[in-house]
Amino acid sequence: MIGKLMGAAAALALLVGVASAGDFPDRDIQGIIQWGAGGSTDLVMRSVSPEAEKVLGRSIIMTNKTGGVGAIATQFVASQPADGYTLLMSAENPQLYKVMGLSNLDYGDFYPVNVLARGVPVLVANNDAPFNTIKELVDYVQANPGAVRMGSTGPGGLPSVVGGMLAAETDFKVTAVPFDGDGPALTAMQGGAVDFMPAVLGVAAEHVKAGRIKVLGIIDEEASPILPDAKPITADYPEFKKYLPWGPFFGVFVKRDTPDDVKAKLVEAFKAGAEKADFQKLLSDRGYVLLNISGDEADAFLRKWQSTTAWVVYDAGIAKKSPEEFGIAKP
Amino acid sequence: MIDAFSYLFMSWLQPELLALTAIGTCAGIYIGAIPGLSVTMAVSILISFTFGWQVNHALALMNGIFMGGVYGGSRTAILLNIPGAPAAIATALDGYPLAKKGEAGNAIGLSTVMSVLGGFIGIIVLALAAPTVSEFAIKFQPRDYMLLAVMGILLVGSLSGESLAKGIFAGALGMLLGTVGLDPMTAEQRFTFGSVELMNGISPVALMIGLFGVSEALNQLHSLHLPAIRQRVDKIIPSLADVKKYLPLSLQTSAIGVFIGALPGTGGDIAALMAYDHAKRVTKEPEVPFGEGAKEGLVAPETANNAAVGGAYIPMLTLGIPGDAVTAIIIGALFIHGLNPGPLLLVQKPDMFWFTVGNLTLANIFLLIFGLTGIRIFTRIIECPKGVLLPLILLLSVVGAYSINNSVSDVWWMLGFGVLGYFMKFYGYQVGPVVLGIILSRLMDDNWRRAIISERDSVSDFFFNMLASPLSATLFAAIVLILISQTPFWKKFRAGGSAVPKNG
Repeated sequence: MIGKLMGAAAALALLVGVASAGDFPDRDIQGIIQWGAGGSTDLVMRSVSPEAEKVLGRSIIMTNKTGGVGAIATQFVASQPADGYTLLMSAENPQLYKVMGLSNLDYGDFYPVNVLARGVPVLVANNDAPFNTIKELVDYVQANPGAVRMGSTGPGGLPSVVGGMLAAETDFKVTAVPFDGDGPALTAMQGGAVDFMPAVLGVAAEHVKAGRIKVLGIIDEEASPILPDAKPITADYPEFKKYLPWGPFFGVFVKRDTPDDVKAKLVEAFKAGAEKADFQKLLSDRGYVLLNISGDEADAFLRKWQSTTAWVVYDAGIAKKSPEEFGIAKP
Repeated sequence: MIDAFSYLFMSWLQPELLALTAIGTCAGIYIGAIPGLSVTMAVSILISFTFGWQVNHALALMNGIFMGGVYGGSRTAILLNIPGAPAAIATALDGYPLAKKGEAGNAIGLSTVMSVLGGFIGIIVLALAAPTVSEFAIKFQPRDYMLLAVMGILLVGSLSGESLAKGIFAGALGMLLGTVGLDPMTAEQRFTFGSVELMNGISPVALMIGLFGVSEALNQLHSLHLPAIRQRVDKIIPSLADVKKYLPLSLQTSAIGVFIGALPGTGGDIAALMAYDHAKRVTKEPEVPFGEGAKEGLVAPETANNAAVGGAYIPMLTLGIPGDAVTAIIIGALFIHGLNPGPLLLVQKPDMFWFTVGNLTLANIFLLIFGLTGIRIFTRIIECPKGVLLPLILLLSVVGAYSINNSVSDVWWMLGFGVLGYFMKFYGYQVGPVVLGIILSRLMDDNWRRAIISERDSVSDFFFNMLASPLSATLFAAIVLILISQTPFWKKFRAGGSAVPKNG
């Protein structure tokens, strides 16, 4: 009996040894999703994976491991062997962990298999709010400092970053009311609990089209086909160009020291997934911009994002530590 | 109109949809019954699984699982004192004592019929009044959610058993445990001692499995020599007279269920607990006291949590706003299938609405069929020798705790709370208030802070605006009335000065 067990253990060890040497993948791959079931990250990952599975010839078993703004999933993947069998399926959050004091990890510790897409933020408001454009909002806030309530999703979330950019460029003092996510915050805004909020286009669009909330403008250099009436913020505030394009993003990552041939195989698989027409339609319907970048190109994107955002949140007084401590360059 | 009818009965007439709904409902009952396996989890797995299917097929399966799963939690709650989900906590309070008396069959039969009744009421409200209810539900502000949570915490009075002081202690412990983890408002770490595992807080489900299931198993080690209780299985389907007797109560608790379910910030768990409390308050003379196997204590939560299913679909189908965690995932599924769930869905694709109403009705009928069959076999579970049963409970608890978030630390928490629960029971503390505390802690904490931040930290503005809003003022008045009605002074006044004040 013990002999048999030893045999099995030896076979298993051999299997693992072979796995890192070549023929990747020879067993199913684990995909750790950083956010909860039904959220944007979850949906994007579950839609891109079926095609990637076909290329890999193995299943990707996806698990939602939520909590700590995604730090728990990130920590978990970092603690697994660097063999490409554990993927981190995540959003932009790890790029702020260091300055928020949440974790010592960021995407410098991971290799970007594919940064799939980025979202575009818009500013939306309650229909009864006394402003209709971004400029009117800024003027109103300046006339009534602190009186306007902004829906937020907690420090480091999209609304706090956009609020931070506005505060850096204009004299923008609002009362931020944090909710559990952009969905709950938008709901609360319809009930009148907050006056306006920055939100990702795809989540807000349906409510705007139905006339339940109004859009003030889009935080991008060009208008979006989803909401063509939303005026780009750069029209009134050209100084915003230096931040743009900016938005939340989704990506698939493995540990940085994963063998190169394994990385290449994964890159190939997720590239195929991202090129699929169904997936692209799903993204564009939802107002996301396809990126489909990996390797050095993705690293450059991630670094720029981190430098812009970390300094915005630091200057807005949201961050706990200075980006300088971690060698994050000032943009 | 003819179109609406054809969509209403679509899933009844197409054999594939009919079969998928049946499979979903049946699977849902078992998923719901296993603690830790949740409907939320099952539906999210189905999103990948049904990726290539037609949307109606995927929905039929998900609707079935949702209906069945909410009901399924009552099975283990009654038989083993392990609620399959937080929505079944209140069911365990009176359901398990019934099983101990050998009436598990009867209890399951009654809870099935009443769940189906609650389910139907939820669906009827969904079909007839969805736009009105959802417009009202989104009027709820953080302040109102806070008041609702305060109303919920008053339930400690109903759950604390012999000693109110011990109940309050247990409730406060639960609320304290609920604060552990990353504070969602400030990303500040509370009681995490630098551990990443603690950032996510303590899972209420792990706590629930430990306090109920494991502590019960430990407790039974004292009585290993006693023979298992013989279960009577002759009277499973409740008599018409019984159903009639509980009908007024179940209509009230279903209404509570639909409404709490329709509120975007609350779900079946809070609905069931509030319904239980309501039953306790309006039932003047139960045949057996609450907590010792009162049928009213079984009827109330079971009608409410199934009524909450229909309720949860109300804001989802009319506004694209999820009513609870499961409908949040179904919204995601609709989006993957190329629909744009939002306020325009009802206008652009009314067929989705009628299909869902018809399909939920069908799932509810299957629930009655699957729920009432196989009860005999189920009740055999508690007749098996304790040497088999107790390890089985422990195994189920470990698997359940692990599957919440695929984390071993949840298993440790669960076991730790099991030991704690054992000593709590030993010293006369009820475990119910702890679970209540941890469930309501976040609701109360977050919404109080949202409310006071909105008032720019001015307590006087907070009270002024609370009394100025009709909704908040009503909720506040209700809380004050509930409190006063429990004072000896009020009881004396009601009884014309003759009654002896009783601790409530």
